[in-house]
Amino acid sequence: MNVNCKDYQHQITLFLYDELAEGARHELEAHLRECGACKEAFDSERTMHSMLADDPTGWDVPPDLLVESRKALADQLDLVEKKRSWWRIPTFSVVFTPIRLLESAALIAMGLALGVYVSNQQARQVQPTAVNPPSENPAPAIPRNGTISNLQVVNADPVTGQVELAGEVSQPLRFHGQMEDDTVRQLLFSALRDGNNPGSRLKAVEVLSQKPTDESIEEALINALVYDDDAGVRMRALEGLKTFANEQHVQAAFMHTLQNDANAGIRIEAIDALLANPKDAKLAQKLTEATKKDDNPYIRTKVLQFVGTTK
Amino acid sequence: MEAILKRTAQRVHESEDEKLLIEQAQNGDREAFEQLVRRHDRDILRLAFHMLGNREEAREVFQETFLKAFRSLGRFRFESSFYTWIYRIATNVSLDHLRKRQTLKEEISYESDTETHPDRPALKDTLAATTYYSNPERRLYGKEVGEKIQDALKTLSEKERLVFELRHYQGLRLKMIGEIMGSTEETAKNYLFRATQKLRAYLANV
Repeated sequence: MNVNCKDYQHQITLFLYDELAEGARHELEAHLRECGACKEAFDSERTMHSMLADDPTGWDVPPDLLVESRKALADQLDLVEKKRSWWRIPTFSVVFTPIRLLESAALIAMGLALGVYVSNQQARQVQPTAVNPPSENPAPAIPRNGTISNLQVVNADPVTGQVELAGEVSQPLRFHGQMEDDTVRQLLFSALRDGNNPGSRLKAVEVLSQKPTDESIEEALINALVYDDDAGVRMRALEGLKTFANEQHVQAAFMHTLQNDANAGIRIEAIDALLANPKDAKLAQKLTEATKKDDNPYIRTKVLQFVGTTK
Repeated sequence: MEAILKRTAQRVHESEDEKLLIEQAQNGDREAFEQLVRRHDRDILRLAFHMLGNREEAREVFQETFLKAFRSLGRFRFESSFYTWIYRIATNVSLDHLRKRQTLKEEISYESDTETHPDRPALKDTLAATTYYSNPERRLYGKEVGEKIQDALKTLSEKERLVFELRHYQGLRLKMIGEIMGSTEETAKNYLFRATQKLRAYLANV
């Protein structure tokens, strides 16, 4: 071993991670042909790499952990947004003059009480009242057929008579497109997240199940299966996922359903989907574990039959 | 050549697309932020799971990382790639968790030294029992070599562990690891070298 060997051994690490420049690589290869000590170090490090590659414990993230983590994050983001919207509602802001203050007050009252539907006529009445809107905060146009909700008074200055309002504007939407169209998908995913409308979620999950062509749809269906409160939505999501029943994370979602879903009908669908997989001793063991406390005799019998055929 | 051009064009398209998403998210578009999350969340969860070694802490790191990103996205100035930025947050959060765990371990170890509870299992062992490595589910799959590797990884310092994780398991280039650590490629190389030397020595007799 000569004085450069320490440098060469440093380079062995980089070489095995493909981080060594071309010239240095050739030089190292030449050195390894001549130096026994460095060759030994190289072999030892390469053996270590092989061991790590063959690590039988594996390092895969459990498939259900991603689903769980996403759900927990979405809940937290909802909370953060809720807090934000309470303190600062940036959706739109309109400045009024004293002349039309009464009209404005009436509008506020309507907004606060009912979440007023504002017609085109009303929008036109409101718009001209904004005199000299500050250029850095121009008054946004209220859509012709928009609906105002969560209207709040942000500021009311009795001296200048200026009032600032904030709220949310939504308007009807109609969109045509192919399932492959990203906008169509995003809209369907939004419908699937609409916590107040199970009918819309069911429709969305039905449409998505028709053509579960890619990972994003698969994920949306898994989320619906695991987290939706509505049994109909969960059932439909499960049916849509059967196409992917041989995939590990879909199996994990089915297994989760089998262990946690209170609806026996959905659990039966889940067990049928899981048993459609090839006979596998590991799967049989997991199923036995997952269903040993299940009160449904059909599920327990199916598992026993499956376990019997794998022995 | 055509394939290279195609890949380059795709990368440019992806990066422009990501820039647009970041700008939309900075303007309060939650959907855009969620799309950004979806692009990187598998990698971040994998990093957290490997670094912390158990589901609960991995989920906490995952959540903390993206909540921090959500809160501070307005300050993102495109000086680095979003990927580097989010990884930097994730590695800092992971290291904080490891440090907290270390502090807790030290406190518990101090308590157990000062108290005399012969019937109680050593608190240090209770703490270790919550880790991924000793999870019965994992042990089921674990064999002698796997356990040795996990023991070997525990001998690394935080930074060595981090660089090794990012290079070996996450497959990031050392240049990027240097950026993520707020340091240089050379520093990342040194940590990687030290980590592999320790692992090699530990695993030599397996």
